[in-house]
Amino acid sequence: MKELKFLIAIWQTNLQSAMEYRAAFLTQVIGMIVNNFIYFAIWIIFFNKFKDVRGWGVNDMYVTFGVLASSFGLVSLLFGNTFTLSDIIAKGRLDYYLSLPRPVLLHTVASRTIASGMGDFLYGFISYCLSGYFTWDGLARFALAALLAATVFGAFLILTQSLAFWFGSMSNFSGLMLNAMLTFGIYPITLFDSYAKLILFTIIPAALMGAVPAEFIRAFTWEVLGQLLLGAIGFLALAIFVFHKGLRRYESGSAIQIEI
Amino acid sequence: MKTFSKYWSIFQITLINSLAYPGELAGRSLMIIPFMWIFYQLWKVTFNAAGVDAMNGLTLHDTLWYLMLAETIELGRPPIARTMSENVKDGSIAYILNKPYDFLLYQFSTAMGETIFRAMLNAIFGGLTVLWLVGTPEHPEGFLIALPAILGAWVLHFCINAMIGLSAFVVEDVSAFTWIYQKFSFIFGGMLIPLDFYPQWLQTFAKFLPFSSAIYGPARLFVTPTTEIFINVMTLQLGWIVVLTFLLTIAYRRGLTQLTVNGG
Repeated sequence: MKELKFLIAIWQTNLQSAMEYRAAFLTQVIGMIVNNFIYFAIWIIFFNKFKDVRGWGVNDMYVTFGVLASSFGLVSLLFGNTFTLSDIIAKGRLDYYLSLPRPVLLHTVASRTIASGMGDFLYGFISYCLSGYFTWDGLARFALAALLAATVFGAFLILTQSLAFWFGSMSNFSGLMLNAMLTFGIYPITLFDSYAKLILFTIIPAALMGAVPAEFIRAFTWEVLGQLLLGAIGFLALAIFVFHKGLRRYESGSAIQIEI
Repeated sequence: MKTFSKYWSIFQITLINSLAYPGELAGRSLMIIPFMWIFYQLWKVTFNAAGVDAMNGLTLHDTLWYLMLAETIELGRPPIARTMSENVKDGSIAYILNKPYDFLLYQFSTAMGETIFRAMLNAIFGGLTVLWLVGTPEHPEGFLIALPAILGAWVLHFCINAMIGLSAFVVEDVSAFTWIYQKFSFIFGGMLIPLDFYPQWLQTFAKFLPFSSAIYGPARLFVTPTTEIFINVMTLQLGWIVVLTFLLTIAYRRGLTQLTVNGG
């Protein structure tokens, strides 16, 4: 409860800070929504010509792209530093968070808001509404699925970026993993054979960010909800474990850092 | 000649600089491998479902090599707009503007210096992946024939990106414009789907735009290196280069009058 209050206080501060530059904030939010619409036009063109990919049609793409965008947006908005954690570790900028009496990982990742994330988050809901699958209970499932997908995504970012404790700056590798996660998450899962699917549920859990949440949104089953919950809890626990394991190896040059 | 050698030196320095961290350079280029693999999965299933060997003159084999070159052009280009925007935001533009060189030519020389090795590595990794997936290109000589169009594509990218970067003189943060430009490149440049697979009306419209000259043209020329396509691609590309260079020069002159640098 105490940590939740702390988180809310950080998010409020981040929001106030982002709203200080209101025009830039709005440009980024609207720009990202427009950007996503334009990108999705490619899939409309594709499915207009080829109709479906092994049973996967444009309506499924709306849902998959929507939940992926919303979960990506949620992590960008609320835990913006998950994208740059390896740099923070490698450059000794964890010193600041270590010196304060709050959970280091939570404080670090929540200390930054990426304004464009709001655009992604909102676009996801618009995409779902346009999918043709819209129902009110479906909308509730969409919100839950986006939350669980965001947990998997955030945990995956923490995991890959925490490798910086062992290998130094991992910005290229983590960038590669981030792109792989988004790319594989967005394409129809019916494209992949069973070996590829195994990878998409484990090493690069893109299926837990795109196809599986989309399946849950289209129709409720306990089995799919169980997969999502298990994936979210499992990856989050692993990410926290790896981060703290790495933190024991952390050292810095006591550089003076100013956190803004 | 002396003027040219100045920019040649800037180009060389950036080129050598880009080799200073070979691991980083190679690491960035690895992304093309999963891209090509996923394109292979998508188009293999699509061609099978359509039950045809070729669509609008492109086989699966051609489509993969086309996409490899399209990705190489796109992933090879440096973030010019973002760099220029950063220069404006942190005030370092004041130091660049008062140097004895033309601002735009300086930016062009550095951009090209950053592009060459980045694109080469993307072509190597992407080429090896496609070679493993579908075999050698049908017209390997197509790469040499498409080379002038590839260079022209980078010039076009520079002109558009520099115009976006110059908008930082007015709005400071240009990220929204760069995202939208990138997505227009995806759609009208034929980066994920070759323009030949579009509906006829959209094909005609898209093929006339500068985005297609910057991606589709060179990539199509690579897989179908005929004299007719070469002439069409180069004519349209040169036309757009002239128009966009003119617009860029005007935008730069106007932008300078609005620039305010605080500190730096």
